[in-house]
Amino acid sequence: MKNRSIHPIFCALALFVFSTALAAQTAEAQGAKKAQAAAPTPDLTGVWANITEVGPTFNAKEGPSFQPWAEAKWKANKNDDPGQPAITNGRVNLDPTVASCFPTGMPRLMTEVFPFEILQVRDRVLILFEKDYLVSHIWTDGRKLPEDPDPTYMGQSVGKWEGDTLVVDTVGLKDITWLDRQGHPHSDALHVTWRVRRITHDRLQIDWTFDDPKAFTKPWTGRTIYRHHPDWTLEEFIACEDRLLHGGESLEQKAVKEGGQ
Amino acid sequence: MVLLKGRVEISEVLQMKNKRLALLLGTMGLLLFCGPVLAHHGRSNYDVTNTATVKGVVTQFDWVNPHALIYLDVTGDDGKTEKWIAETNSPNTLARQGWNKTTVKVGDEVTLVGHRVKGGGTYINFSKITWPDGRVLTPAVQN
Repeated sequence: MKNRSIHPIFCALALFVFSTALAAQTAEAQGAKKAQAAAPTPDLTGVWANITEVGPTFNAKEGPSFQPWAEAKWKANKNDDPGQPAITNGRVNLDPTVASCFPTGMPRLMTEVFPFEILQVRDRVLILFEKDYLVSHIWTDGRKLPEDPDPTYMGQSVGKWEGDTLVVDTVGLKDITWLDRQGHPHSDALHVTWRVRRITHDRLQIDWTFDDPKAFTKPWTGRTIYRHHPDWTLEEFIACEDRLLHGGESLEQKAVKEGGQ
Repeated sequence: MVLLKGRVEISEVLQMKNKRLALLLGTMGLLLFCGPVLAHHGRSNYDVTNTATVKGVVTQFDWVNPHALIYLDVTGDDGKTEKWIAETNSPNTLARQGWNKTTVKVGDEVTLVGHRVKGGGTYINFSKITWPDGRVLTPAVQN
């Protein structure tokens, strides 16, 4: 009998405490959501140029840990001829962009010397590249990355804001391209995560993680830095115009051949 | 650096007595001065250990990608004329520095300093151009 009389009181009390806590939590969550909605979206817009000390790559101190096939490819691509700087462009004759006119593609475009412009529009962040006039579309509307994407040069990207940082995931990249100017190879399984943040008014920092189980034994990380150029507008750069004008071979290539090299 | 009219001087610095100093200074100069021109371009086709100077008369200026090109006639002391091609930075980079398709004109007498292609071809990548009136331009990638 005693237990029967205590039970409803206890339940009512517990229900009151629980519901009060729940209401408080809900209010807190709604407040946070409102605060987030009210927080201004960070402004990354503008023309930016790469000033990373190790320009041609993402991380000069520690290279990727390669799978054997990728290691062999890297050794072939790397330009370590005597007299060359320690960190320099990969071998010209093997460079898919320079030698064969393939689009530079992502993420290599972010190691190029030519500037890019970031635009923020509804549901998207766009990066316009001066090199080859390519565009990266980073969808910020909450969509998911495709499970099994068809590979492209620019890949497919989604992004979300975490405080002052745009966190981007990119997949669906063709393995024809080099990962960077230095000549690091990658596979079509490459998943790039990049955290884009304006560290000062005129500096943009991107922290990179390259996860590519087909090419790397563990994810590779790096960092690049860009300078803001408020007075610049994008010009046009088309990589292979000279080859198209001169029968498929640049005049430089012809001169090298004629010189007996 | 001595410039002989109409001559292409590839290795004059090596003729100096203090070769080591010359090479050191040359290398420093190349890194500071010529590096940016080849920054987006492979260096392996060029003799980057020596500076080349070419003086000639412009016969054509092509505002093309990926490198603007100057065609010029270079006349040697023996009176023979060689056809040279000189490339520099890309039009997008040059445009940001105030260049346009008429910056170099047919008939201009210009002196170019840069790196000659390996193997003795009459082709250089230049990073400095001088006109007889003293005008000097040093195209470079600016980041």
